[in-house]
Amino acid sequence: MEKETKIVLPFYKIAYAVFFVIILSLIRGVTHTYEVGIAIEAPLAILTTVFCADTYVQEIMSKRSEVHRLYPIKRRFCSIMERIMIQEIFLLVLAIAGYGLFFIVQKPITHPVTENETIQFAVYCFAITITIFFWGILVNTLSMFFRNMWMGIGGCLLIWMVANSRGGENVFGAWNLFSYMFRNIENTADITWLYGKALYICIGLILLATLPNIIRRRG
Amino acid sequence: MSIHIKDLTVTFKNGVTAINHADLEIPNGIFGLLGENGAGKTTLMRVLTTVLKPVSGTVALDKILYSEGNYKKIQRKIGYLPQEIELYPNLTVQECLEYMGDLAGVPKAECTKRIEYYLKKTSLVEHRKKKMKQLSGGMKRRVGLVQALLNEPEFLIVDEPTTGLDPEERIRIRNLLVDFSENRTVLFSTHVVEDLAATCNQLAIIQKGSFLYAGLVRNLAEEAQGKIWICKASDEEKAREVECQYRITSKQYVEGGLQLRVISERMPELECVSVPATLEDAYIYVTSQAR
Repeated sequence: MEKETKIVLPFYKIAYAVFFVIILSLIRGVTHTYEVGIAIEAPLAILTTVFCADTYVQEIMSKRSEVHRLYPIKRRFCSIMERIMIQEIFLLVLAIAGYGLFFIVQKPITHPVTENETIQFAVYCFAITITIFFWGILVNTLSMFFRNMWMGIGGCLLIWMVANSRGGENVFGAWNLFSYMFRNIENTADITWLYGKALYICIGLILLATLPNIIRRRG
Repeated sequence: MSIHIKDLTVTFKNGVTAINHADLEIPNGIFGLLGENGAGKTTLMRVLTTVLKPVSGTVALDKILYSEGNYKKIQRKIGYLPQEIELYPNLTVQECLEYMGDLAGVPKAECTKRIEYYLKKTSLVEHRKKKMKQLSGGMKRRVGLVQALLNEPEFLIVDEPTTGLDPEERIRIRNLLVDFSENRTVLFSTHVVEDLAATCNQLAIIQKGSFLYAGLVRNLAEEAQGKIWICKASDEEKAREVECQYRITSKQYVEGGLQLRVISERMPELECVSVPATLEDAYIYVTSQAR
């Protein structure tokens, strides 16, 4: 685990991720507390995409993958899973820290119709965990499939743009990948946005299931 | 352990044939693979490491045929040092080897013992705590060699391990390869003739995907005996004329003109003496015959 951490969390990645969240909290204006999660989710999906794109592809770029081909698939799969987990835990901690940073920098106020702050924070943690989980796995899968991290990032960006748009909201509704952002704030009883998150989890798990096969054929 | 390659053809998606109906037998010990850049050496190695699948032909490791079902068995027997591998820059030498040994499935205690042994053999003990990015090119190559040996492979494949190294490091790597070739088969690919002359008994020359020669190193040198000449040209003009007619392997200014090392079936029409052929002469002779 320690070695995997050193491999996937070099200083430059930690630095740009931290700066990204700091800059986001400075430039993205929010008035009410319910807007904080909304302000963070989509940009963090992009950060996750860029951050996790080289999870395995770094092995291809450095030609280590030719040696990795001689290793048992199970061990290679476990190694990739560990790497994804380490990066996603780091991003989750960063996302939670970013939530707090918005409160410090922007000092948002509580909107009278929204839930209390603790529930809002819990809902945010739940939503952002799934967002990070999904985009981390998606970008790694695409990058491995195309053996190119830019293809992975580009593919994710395309999906991100479709999902994070008015059109995406209208077409996919509660099944949108960013359903947490587009949920009805004033109707706290409406939990249909969870469909979108459930979809995230399902697709993520399917992608994980295909990973051994992708390692075998494209690794 | 020996490797049998029969009628092997590798064609890429763009239609380029990298290996063309090649036959080869690689016996136990250190075996050289010589060829110019782009001759097909790396492609052959990638087939042998199961990275590439051939279009046709067969490859067998002892009696295990290269096929999807046997890949697991074959992969366990192979150690590979690719040409341009960049090992984990943020890990120390020790960590890097432990990590790769673990991925290879070597039990931890055994792996620690082997790392210790090979670090001593490669004189890297005092550098074990250095990060990979702090090592010199030669040291990195030595660590690469150790990682290829961690699973105690019966078949070790090294692709141009001496490229870009200074003479001392090259000699060190060559000697290590000879040490490690005991009781295993080592396929040593290079385009530096000198490296093979110093390490191998047998070699194969590959050009444009076909083997031009496969056999004993000393027999290769004999192929060019009587065809190597040292000639003297009085001036540059004369030297240029000779260059147009014959294959020149070296040229240097000497007192009273230029001295040329010429490959020719018959004596050139100059002031010439016949000299014994070196391995490099023989290599140039064999490859120029094929052109």
